[in-house]
Amino acid sequence: MNAFAIAFWSMFTLAGVWLQGIIPGVDFLAPGLILCLQEEKWTVSAWLGLAWLFIQEGTGSLAFGTGLLWYGALVGLYYFGHWLFEAKNFLFMFILGICLGVLHLVLSHVMAVLQDWTLPADRILVEGLLQALIFPVEWGLVYLIYNHLPENPHAV
Amino acid sequence: MDALASYTGLEFAKWVLAPGKWAASRVSSFWDRYVYFVGVREENDSLRASLAEATQELVLLREKAAEAERLARILTIRPPVGWSRQGARVVSHRLGPNASLETVLLDKGVLDGLEVNTPVTGPDGVIGRILRLSPTAATVLLVTDPNSRIPVTSQKNRTQGIIKGEGANREMVVQYVALGAPLEEGELLVTSGLEEIFPKGLPVARVTEVGRKGPSLFQTVYAEPLFDARRLEEVALLARNPQEGRAQAEPGQGGVAGQKEPVADPISHSPSTKVVPPDPSGRAPGLEPPRPAPAPGTERKKPPRSGP
Repeated sequence: MNAFAIAFWSMFTLAGVWLQGIIPGVDFLAPGLILCLQEEKWTVSAWLGLAWLFIQEGTGSLAFGTGLLWYGALVGLYYFGHWLFEAKNFLFMFILGICLGVLHLVLSHVMAVLQDWTLPADRILVEGLLQALIFPVEWGLVYLIYNHLPENPHAV
Repeated sequence: MDALASYTGLEFAKWVLAPGKWAASRVSSFWDRYVYFVGVREENDSLRASLAEATQELVLLREKAAEAERLARILTIRPPVGWSRQGARVVSHRLGPNASLETVLLDKGVLDGLEVNTPVTGPDGVIGRILRLSPTAATVLLVTDPNSRIPVTSQKNRTQGIIKGEGANREMVVQYVALGAPLEEGELLVTSGLEEIFPKGLPVARVTEVGRKGPSLFQTVYAEPLFDARRLEEVALLARNPQEGRAQAEPGQGGVAGQKEPVADPISHSPSTKVVPPDPSGRAPGLEPPRPAPAPGTERKKPPRSGP
């Protein structure tokens, strides 16, 4: 990983955390994990995924394990989906976004039941919809930016 | 001849020179004005820059004045007897996909002496309690969250119930208010202190509706919170003092809303520093006091860290 890639992922993480503060309930780091799996070595994805997992678990209010299930399911869906679709296809990302939106509903509900909590269903539904819409758009943007980085073998 | 020369040559010279003179004076005047306007323009640019700086400074000063006003309101929070107060800033509201509860993030944490369940208040009343801690940050569970339940007492009629949040921008519900219990709309609900987390007498909400629905054995009571979560910027954190027992024995050390005890001067409490009451041992005020050592048999059990 070169210096530009390090700077890119650092900036991406900072921007993601800021955006999560602006639009609560939406994961702005998940598209980065998919891009990382597509473009970087698996070790880079593993380290970044671990760092983002701790960010999500630390800032969240659900019990530890929710983030693990969230990113685990995302990676699983990606590896399952890229057998069927072209991995860098926007349609695939769109479907992945919808899956994440549904996963947000299911995971929040299950974890709330397990912890004997009550969550407002309407708010979780809106968050799921936002996640489904934002995920493919954000992936497209960061994909374009990443592939325009200097010293990138794929740079345009 | 001399007159003829005067009437012709002189007149001719005048008619030749005068327009030139006039033109020269106009050109000179124009040039002077041009130079003048260049100067004016430069001066105008300079004034514009000064105005922009002054406007920016004015905005900053207004922001500082508003902040000072908010901090002054925080300082008006009177820590109850046996409790100390410190201020904290709200860094963020709910953050990330796992932030399912109504929470805010504060810039104070374990290093500032905070513990799970530390009460968080604002100038108008209770805001919530600490849910999660890191060395320099804390997550606060707001009283408006559906998982927050606080035993309360009505300030005037002393009717008891449990207040429960219903989510952001929604009225709270007071549960288990007996049918015959007197309760008025507009009445203030204050903490009863039964859960041993909040000190007794802190305002929580104001009753907006009292009624009865169906065959329930309890009244249906709605109340509005005393703060707007979207506008929270600074809060006060309350912590038990180690000298709690001594302070309770000495009257006039402080009080809470709804109580009549005289209070210590709130101005002497800085919101950014740990506040301690006068220490009879002579230790300098403002220093962080040692952790409270609960009396044997009175130590309260903390709920699980992850639970609200």
